[in-house]
Amino acid sequence: MSASAENKVVQEPVETKLSTSYVVRATGVKKIYTMGSEQVHALRGVDFAVKRGEYISIMGPSGSGKSTLFNMIGGLDKPNQGQVYIDEVDIAALNPVELAWLRCHKVGYIFQTYNLIPVATALDNVMLPMIFAGMQQADAQDKAVKLLEKVGLGERILHKPLQMSGGQQQRVAIARALANSPSIVLADEPTANLDKKTGLQIINLLKELNKTEGVSIITATHDHKMLDISDRIAWVRDGRIEKFQKRSDLEIKEGEMHVQ
Amino acid sequence: MKNEHEIMEIESLPLGKIIHITCKGIRIRIWRSLIVVSGIVLAIAFLSYILCSDGFAQNIAKSAGSIAEKVTPEQIQEMKDQRVQTYWMVALAILISFVGIINAMLMSVTERFREIGTMKCLGALDSFVLKMFLIESVIEGLIGALAGVITGILIAYVEGAITYGSGVWTLLPAGWFLGITAFSFVTGVVITIIAALYPAKQAAKMTPVVALRAEL
Repeated sequence: MSASAENKVVQEPVETKLSTSYVVRATGVKKIYTMGSEQVHALRGVDFAVKRGEYISIMGPSGSGKSTLFNMIGGLDKPNQGQVYIDEVDIAALNPVELAWLRCHKVGYIFQTYNLIPVATALDNVMLPMIFAGMQQADAQDKAVKLLEKVGLGERILHKPLQMSGGQQQRVAIARALANSPSIVLADEPTANLDKKTGLQIINLLKELNKTEGVSIITATHDHKMLDISDRIAWVRDGRIEKFQKRSDLEIKEGEMHVQ
Repeated sequence: MKNEHEIMEIESLPLGKIIHITCKGIRIRIWRSLIVVSGIVLAIAFLSYILCSDGFAQNIAKSAGSIAEKVTPEQIQEMKDQRVQTYWMVALAILISFVGIINAMLMSVTERFREIGTMKCLGALDSFVLKMFLIESVIEGLIGALAGVITGILIAYVEGAITYGSGVWTLLPAGWFLGITAFSFVTGVVITIIAALYPAKQAAKMTPVVALRAEL
C-alpha cells in the first residue's frame, strides 16, 4: 500500500460475501432527529463492519454522531435509512420481543455509570441476564461465579456494589455483560468515571477477555489509552466515519498522536 | 434476513420470579415505598374510622342498655345529619390519597430511569417492567390497606369506649364489622392499583437508550 493510500478515507468493503465472519454490519445508515421544527442529521450515510473477535473503538467529539452510531450497532435504536445487521440479523425487521431477545443473547452492555443494582450482590447482578434468558438458577449461579472469577472478583461474589470501588463495580458490569455469552460487548465510555490507573486495568481486562473469549468488543470512548489495544479505530465526525484505521497505522506517543 | 433456525422468543418470566425481583426492589427503595404506603394507610384509616363510628351511631339507636342511656335522642339525630358531610370528607380523603399515590409513583419511575433502561438492555420485556411496577403497587396496597383498616378501626373503638363505655366492644354485629373491614381493605388495594396504572405504563414505555445517559 502506498503512503498516500493510507491517508485516504478508508471504507470497509461491505459488499463482500454474506458470511458470519462479520458480527456487525451497517450499510448506508442514516439517522435524523426532529427537534421541534429542526432536523438534526445525526448520521449521514455510514458504512461499518466489524469482524468476529475484533476490538473496535469509536472515537469522535460530542455531537459527531458517535453515540447514535453506537446505539444503532447495539440494537438500541433503528436507522431511518440503511440496514444494520447484528450476526446477520436485520434489526429493523425485529419486533420488540425479538429485539429484547437480541439484547439478552447477542449483545452485552457496559455503561459509563456501571448501572448495577447497588444493594443486590455481585452474584445476583451477574445472574440477572441469565434469568431473563430462562437459565436455571443453579446453572446461572455456577456460570456467574466463574465469570466473576475471570474478572478477578472471585472473593467478592457476595459483596454488593455499595461496598466496592468504581473499578470493581465495572468488573462486575463486565462479568454481567458476558453472562449470556454474547457475540458483541458494547462498552459506552467504560473508563470515563475511573482514574487513569484503574481505567488502564479495565482496558487491559477487556482486551484479555477479547482474546480468551473471542467476543467482539466495540467501545465508544474519549480515552486514548483505549486506542493502544484496539484492532481498528473508527473516527466519527459530522455524522460520517471520517477514518477507519488499523491500530498499526497509528503512532501514539504520550500526549500526542501521529497518523503515519 | 432472519436465521430461521433461531427462535428469537423470550418467554415471559414466571410470576414467582417477578414477585421475587419486585420484593427485592421494594427493600431497596423502602423509604419511597413507605411514602406511598403511608398515603394509603391514612386514607383507609380515615375511611374505616368513619364507617365504624357511623356504624356505632346507627346501632346505638337500636340497642338498649347502658349505652342508650348515655346518648340523648338529639345527639343521635345530630350524628345522622352529619352523615352526608362526613362521607364527602371521606371521598375527598380517598381522592387526595389517590392523586398522591400517582404522584409518588411517577416520581419513582422517573428516578429509576437508569434501572429500567438497564433491565431492558439485559433483555427485559416491556411487559416485565409493567408487571414489576404493578406488583409493587399491589404489595404496597395490601400492606397499606391492612395497616389502615387496623388503625382506623382501633381508633374508632377506642374513641367509642371513651364516649360510650365498655359496651361499645360488642355494639357492632359481626356482619357490620366484617363488612366495614372488607370494604375498607378492598378499597385501599383497588385505589392503589388503579393509581399505579399510569406510572407503570410510563415505565414500560421507556427505551433502553436512557440507560446510557450520564446525567438525569
